[in-house]
Amino acid sequence: MRENKFTETHFRREKRQDSVSSRDAGKSKGDKFLPDRRTFLAGAASLLGTIAVNSCTWQEFFQNNFRRMSKKEIEHTVQRLQAEYKKKYGKEFVVGSEAPLDATLFGYGLDIQRCIGCRRCVYGCVEENNLSRDPQIQYIRVLRFKDGNMDLEQSTIYYDPEEVPEKGYYYMPVQCQHCANAPCTKVCPVQATWTEPDGIVVVDYNWCIGCRYCMAACPYMGRWFNFTDPTIPKDQVNPNTHYLGNRPRMRNVVEKCTFCIQRVRNGVYPKCVEVCPVGARKFGNLLDPNSEISIIIRTKRVFRLKEELNTQPKFYYFFAT
Amino acid sequence: MKGTIGILRLFFPALVLSLIAMFFAWGTGLTRAQSQEQLDTTSEEVGRRSDQEFPVPLTPLPKTITPCRACHGPEKDFPVNFKRREDLLVHKDIKLNHGGARVWCLDCHDPENRDYLLPLSDGKLIPFNKTYLLCGKCHGTKYRDWRNGVHGRRTGHWNGVKSYYLCINCHDPHSPRFKAIEPMPPPRKPWAPKETRAAH
Repeated sequence: MRENKFTETHFRREKRQDSVSSRDAGKSKGDKFLPDRRTFLAGAASLLGTIAVNSCTWQEFFQNNFRRMSKKEIEHTVQRLQAEYKKKYGKEFVVGSEAPLDATLFGYGLDIQRCIGCRRCVYGCVEENNLSRDPQIQYIRVLRFKDGNMDLEQSTIYYDPEEVPEKGYYYMPVQCQHCANAPCTKVCPVQATWTEPDGIVVVDYNWCIGCRYCMAACPYMGRWFNFTDPTIPKDQVNPNTHYLGNRPRMRNVVEKCTFCIQRVRNGVYPKCVEVCPVGARKFGNLLDPNSEISIIIRTKRVFRLKEELNTQPKFYYFFAT
Repeated sequence: MKGTIGILRLFFPALVLSLIAMFFAWGTGLTRAQSQEQLDTTSEEVGRRSDQEFPVPLTPLPKTITPCRACHGPEKDFPVNFKRREDLLVHKDIKLNHGGARVWCLDCHDPENRDYLLPLSDGKLIPFNKTYLLCGKCHGTKYRDWRNGVHGRRTGHWNGVKSYYLCINCHDPHSPRFKAIEPMPPPRKPWAPKETRAAH
């Protein structure tokens, strides 16, 4: 019954085509079947779709935005990722999904007078956060300024002297400022990046489409794009990760500093704070009046980078004396 | 010919549907099987991670010269000499570079009992593992900042147990200014060949 109907419609369409174009009609009447436009497009679309889906796993393809995932979905995703990373790096991975702590708003302080520009923080961050070694991605840029100058355009990040600090220069490390009014999260067309309740601006790498609008919007150059698959030496990969943080990334996604979300959500200082040899980096809870960062803001001279843009960074540069 | 196309058209959606159904069945089954063991390792790992200990670094004292009273003391070889001397007979490695002419050995070290440092106003001698009390005597603002966590380095938990780096963990008390150190390599310039590091 149904088959009859089907052939009937098909036949009818062919008939219509006959009337429209006699050239096509001659072909379709012959023994060799050539699909009409609609059939061809449907077939091509399904084929392309199949190919596209096969380039990642089915679960990955159907994975939801992290904020919309249920607890169970997160659990499954985490397990899938752990298995995937174990296969790739030969280590037991922990992909955490710790929720933000209550009554916590993270703030960061950097003593610009104390910093000697040794870049220990840069490489501590690279190791902790599984950053790509080649092509090189470094979340922290250490700018060198001439004394008395604060023009960002006249600063350099490529200084390479025998010893630091150099006479007549000062240093200012810049990384993601975790703005309270973050321009990068506003421009994301798919809402793959957002500010967590504890103030950390994060990226769902699986949801990111790699359009790099956020990189254009960020006035601090705090975001990085994986133009190729990141390369991390297997023996240097850090298996303690967080879903929104330092889990190994893939090609074509944007990544950024997360205040070491895998550490701070477990109460530990970020890596850059711990490795700084001069103790210029400070970290704490802005909502706790006795935290280091609150005391700094209350008692020291502080400024925020590009404050005039109203991005409201939670990254405070300060002068300890 | 038309008949086979019709059948194909009929079967294609059914095929796709069955494929999707198969995938879902496979996916959920697999994750359910894995979930239990993975969950165990996860909680264990997280526990281990949050219990990470950062012990307070030990006071960097050279073991060879303590106890000081083995040599120093009224009854020993080196009686107290209150005259400022630059060239010491024994402690050749110590080049005093702390506060210029304002500070010398016996401004910190107790002349009577060299195993201790000079006391604060309470009269209690300061042991070598609490040198920060003596540092705070002159550097009061720095001491206050250090206690508040503004000055100096800390490791551990931002909301819990931290280990403090004591003054003399970072500063050599005889020459407290930081020595210059070699910086880590600069980032590669995006336009430079990978191996060369263009000098600025």
